[in-house]
Amino acid sequence: MSYILIISEVRRGLFEERNLDSIGLSALLEKDSFLFIPEGDYAVNEKLVHKILKTSVGENAFLNPMLMINALQKIMDLKGKPDVIIFTSSSSGNECASYAAGYFNLPLVTDVSGYDKEKGVFYKSYYSDKIFGKFKPSEDIPRIITVRSGSFKANAVEKATAADVETIENISPVEGRSFIEYVEEEKTDIDITKADFLLSVGRGIGSQDEIPSYEDLANLLKAVISGSRPVIDKQWLPKPRQVGTSGKTVKPKVYLAMGISGAFQHIAGMKDSDCIIAVNKDAEAPIFQYAHFGIVADVHKVRDKLKAVIKGT
Amino acid sequence: MNLLVFTKRVPATQEEELRIVNEGKKVDLSKVPYKLNDWDNYAVEEAVRIAEKTSGSVTAISIGNAESDEVLRRAIAMGGKEGFLIETATVYDDPNARATLARNFLKKESPAFDAIFTGVQSEDDQFAAVGGILAAKMGLPYVSMVIGIDTVEKDHMIVRRELEGGLQERVKVTLPAVFAIQSGINEPRYVSIMGLRKASKVERKVFKGADYEGDMKSMIEVNQWVYPPKKAGAKILAGELDDVCKELLGILKEKGVYQ
Repeated sequence: MSYILIISEVRRGLFEERNLDSIGLSALLEKDSFLFIPEGDYAVNEKLVHKILKTSVGENAFLNPMLMINALQKIMDLKGKPDVIIFTSSSSGNECASYAAGYFNLPLVTDVSGYDKEKGVFYKSYYSDKIFGKFKPSEDIPRIITVRSGSFKANAVEKATAADVETIENISPVEGRSFIEYVEEEKTDIDITKADFLLSVGRGIGSQDEIPSYEDLANLLKAVISGSRPVIDKQWLPKPRQVGTSGKTVKPKVYLAMGISGAFQHIAGMKDSDCIIAVNKDAEAPIFQYAHFGIVADVHKVRDKLKAVIKGT
Repeated sequence: MNLLVFTKRVPATQEEELRIVNEGKKVDLSKVPYKLNDWDNYAVEEAVRIAEKTSGSVTAISIGNAESDEVLRRAIAMGGKEGFLIETATVYDDPNARATLARNFLKKESPAFDAIFTGVQSEDDQFAAVGGILAAKMGLPYVSMVIGIDTVEKDHMIVRRELEGGLQERVKVTLPAVFAIQSGINEPRYVSIMGLRKASKVERKVFKGADYEGDMKSMIEVNQWVYPPKKAGAKILAGELDDVCKELLGILKEKGVYQ
């Protein structure tokens, strides 16, 4: 049977939005799509795929690459080999995908962010997104792909009818690795990923002494303050405030970047914001490539002037 | 506890403008400086800390050309006991090929180990796959995105792995196992020129990659390199600072984040 197997991610009872990117890619590949999900009390749109394979092992089991192998084996025993197995390019997606590629000896391409349907070519980024590699898969599929979040969501469209649901049971348990618990990274007063408006400061603000003054501005604007990696490394702001690949990925309505030049690791964490406004004295700063609006000026002067205008002085 | 750490010498492309040459068949890296992969730097540091606490040892392993010796010297300067270079003429782009070579090497040379560390990913190809493939091929447990090691016992470790949005997962892993180490897990120690000089006096063993190829094959290949689509760039608000700031506040109002 010819089909695409999509491995879903459910985290603390939430069907993660990035699953839609996996579903979107499967739609582009124009084959029957089977979505593998753990049992749980959460909502999933059953019209997005052709078939849902549900298992009673919980979401934690999906976090275990060794157990995922056993689940995949079970599915292959019942349904035959899928043409493609799609995971999300996430912490667990890449973990399970690489383990599966090694175990089943299948070709693997991770972090796929584009697909050219006409040419049958996949795009994957290299060198901090400066270059993309084009892959044309050979015919000896099945293969494993992990999908970059945000890449194919728009292609996930509803079908006329809901998928039929099948249950997959008797997945062999594993030894060697076991889930203990979820751990919150660090308790914090505010979650920057939930903010509509972030005022983010970077190395360009110069010193820790400037932080209170930017916090003042953030308060006046009713924005939440965040920072780029150098600011966190120097401990000017606490770690939960970090935007970027090693910090948080944010998508506020407005991202106001002050004194941030825009290293890729930072861009990756905020590029999907609805509106990016950058203030930097260097007109060549890469952040202006990604921003919608830019102000080329001294950040402190802009800060002070904004405060003055807001206060009507 | 004995730890093996896979280290990769990568082009430091973050500050470089990269050019695609040979009609899309090659990325010109000839003028780019090379260095130890950032994630591997954290992996070496973490391994050395464990070795120090448990009176164990760290062996750094690198697959690459003769120049990869540089990252082994660095790992030794950080506290590694020895370095193995698996010298290959070709660069294997497919992580599956690299992992197979590593597996074949470990099988044939059978260095003693309790744990294998790698970085989560390498900066150049961003695959985040070698550790997982290697673990599966060796039949070992695997855990990636390791951001904290809470407990080290003879037969297991309890570690925290980074998920998304600030959430972590605590897992127990039976040893031996493969761990892919995430950046930020520690503060890697400073390596002085003096330290590197001393490290260069420690013998690094060189192995011929060809001896371990066996069943190794590349299953994927990049057909063509392309630049990402050029962005339109920002609309620059220009003029008197007073007007610029008012315009900025206008945008904020329009976007509904400021009244």
